[in-house]
Amino acid sequence: MSSLIPGLLISISMAASAATVPSRFDSIAKQAELARTQDRVPEAIRLYREGTQLRPSWADGWWYLGSLLYDQDRFSEASPAFQHLTNTSHRGPAYAFLGLCEYENGNYEVALRHFRAWAAAGWAGSPELVDVAVFHFALLLTRDGRFVESLYLLASIAPRLGDVPELSEGMGLASLRLHYLPEDYPPELREQIWLAGKSALYAAQSPRDFARAHEFASRLEKRYSHKPDVHYFCGTLYTFEGNTAEAEREYREELAISPHHAPSMIALATIDLDKANRVEAGELARSAIDADPSNPEAHHTLGRVLLENGDLHASLTELETAKRLAPESAGVRAHLAMVYTRLGRTQEAKSESAALLALKNKEEVMAPAKVKLGEPKERAH
Amino acid sequence: MICRVLLIACLCAGFGPWLAAASQNNAASTQQRFDQLLQSAQKAREENHDDEAVQLFRRALQQRPESEEALWYLGSMLYEKEQFAAARDVLRSFLTLRSDAGPGWALLGMSEFQLRAYPRALQHLQRAMTQGMGDRKELMDSVFYHVAILLTRFERYDDSMDILQKMLASGSPDPTLVEPAGLAGLRLPYLPAEIPPDQRELITLSGKAVVALQMQRQEEADAEFKRLVATYPNEPGVHFLRAAFLSEMHPEEAMREFERELTISPSSAIARIRLAQQLITAGEFDRALSLAQQAIQLDPKRASAHMMAGEALVAKGDVANGIKELEIARGDDPSIGRVHWDLLRAYAASGRKDEASREKTEIEKIYHGTSPSHSQSLGDSSHDSQRPQ
Repeated sequence: MSSLIPGLLISISMAASAATVPSRFDSIAKQAELARTQDRVPEAIRLYREGTQLRPSWADGWWYLGSLLYDQDRFSEASPAFQHLTNTSHRGPAYAFLGLCEYENGNYEVALRHFRAWAAAGWAGSPELVDVAVFHFALLLTRDGRFVESLYLLASIAPRLGDVPELSEGMGLASLRLHYLPEDYPPELREQIWLAGKSALYAAQSPRDFARAHEFASRLEKRYSHKPDVHYFCGTLYTFEGNTAEAEREYREELAISPHHAPSMIALATIDLDKANRVEAGELARSAIDADPSNPEAHHTLGRVLLENGDLHASLTELETAKRLAPESAGVRAHLAMVYTRLGRTQEAKSESAALLALKNKEEVMAPAKVKLGEPKERAH
Repeated sequence: MICRVLLIACLCAGFGPWLAAASQNNAASTQQRFDQLLQSAQKAREENHDDEAVQLFRRALQQRPESEEALWYLGSMLYEKEQFAAARDVLRSFLTLRSDAGPGWALLGMSEFQLRAYPRALQHLQRAMTQGMGDRKELMDSVFYHVAILLTRFERYDDSMDILQKMLASGSPDPTLVEPAGLAGLRLPYLPAEIPPDQRELITLSGKAVVALQMQRQEEADAEFKRLVATYPNEPGVHFLRAAFLSEMHPEEAMREFERELTISPSSAIARIRLAQQLITAGEFDRALSLAQQAIQLDPKRASAHMMAGEALVAKGDVANGIKELEIARGDDPSIGRVHWDLLRAYAASGRKDEASREKTEIEKIYHGTSPSHSQSLGDSSHDSQRPQ
């Protein structure tokens, strides 16, 4: 019997508090809103804290608490508030804010996960939030070595934002394939990053300003022609412009400096494929796989070469490897569908075509495919 | 470079009366335990037992998280101990409570600078400038210096040059300003610590020339600019800088230098604008208009490009289109006095008296309380405070 008493007391106290909570909560909520609208920030923060403690299901309260703390740059305090919103209708923008908070807190892996969740939830938020979140998402992709994805995102906001120094810095890091954030790269890299970034930024404008892009790229080449990734970057710029001959020259110069540079080998193999030079394309694609066995594009390219050669089973093996490494690559799915069709495996071909369509739609939500910097012009179909 | 420890000593000493007032306001509700902790923390700080003081301030803040005094002293001590991330977090909380505290913004901005969070550092150091820092000269010098070098890093070279000019005008020659002046002059967006070793000489030489010019030492500036172009004839920005220096006294030579710059930096909007400005003065309106229009294509949001196009059009007799361009310039940057002068004259010439009168009012507002300086602009024409010819 005595063991029931604490439980009974708890029940009574809960019943009592349930009766008083609504009125107290309503009063706090009203005061919080008033303080917020009158720009009495410290008081509003205190009141929203109190209100959310009284009623943890108060989504608007968490939202305003998180937003106010975020506006004060108090990211470590804002983050838990946004965390309460991931199962509510504020889920989309909450993930963006969580990504931004964790970025500022230096929890980069967690931030990247939040940004991926944000993307999966449909890139929700005001245009300003989307721009800031896309930018930070891209910075983290660069840090993670996902340079093409990063440039893809940065190029999607470049025409709207214009010549913004932070943006060109981010594009410079990704263009030179440097696994750094703007806050942590060695100071001696500043000039290279600036020159590459300005070049990439002008190439991503609408209309594209290749004259200015090349002016900065040639300054970069003049100063750092012996540094890895510089010629590769210039090659991607020419590729983007559709100047294959100059692109090829740059990729070969990169290989002279960095003999194991897989992206240059892949880019050259792609040019070879377009010129029907399948022998060198195959050699280059195999060398790229040797240099970087986990590079999905290397396997994809070899799969394409083998497909052109009619070696369908070998092609399938390579393309399946590419799919395993990059399940979201629309290009890999397109070639897989072609191979399955030619092998008469209709169901699998249909399945890959459906996946391709879904990925294309998703890509269009993210940014128009045509802005994909580094993607050869001929391949943007 | 300004000594950080000295800065902190000045901050802690200078904040005494202000914090005492804040403390009195809250005295009634202050718990005894909090007071004891705070007193012990202060004592430990005064006796240079920093680690102990930090611990005690933290404990005091557990009692009262919104104690301005504890937040301020803890933030400044953490900064002094070079624990910049911790200092930043404490100062953020402090500034939520005291958003009017200029020195607080200064220290927050400095912490962010050390953490290489440069966009925030610039924003907060500029906030410190807006809020004011009283008569703390060392703190102000440090804030101005960091704002100037950050403005350059964010490619706001003309704004940086304005601040450097003020700093140079207010004191004796400061060797720490040479590199920032060289970077802003050459329009290279690096911090002094980011200068590539093989460019340091170029930047120092440019900086010496710019500093000599800003300190009105014309002969020395002339010699330095000559040396600069002779030593680095193919570097971007060098001929532009000398051209800007020559523009008033030797316009013909200036135009040649601007043209040389355009062969090295073909997409330079600012060289086109400055050359257009020279050509307008020389009465070559067609060429000036063409250059201004090219500059607009390169940099559509640059007010001075529209200003030059407007001036050239008006000079050619196309007042209606000239006014359109000048109105775009005014929309892009309403603070440029020269645009309002141009519009005043253009409206008056078109018989648009009310609009002319409105421009006159704007001009009076812009120059109210300031005597137009006659310093020479080394950047955008919009920073040239003189009236149009």
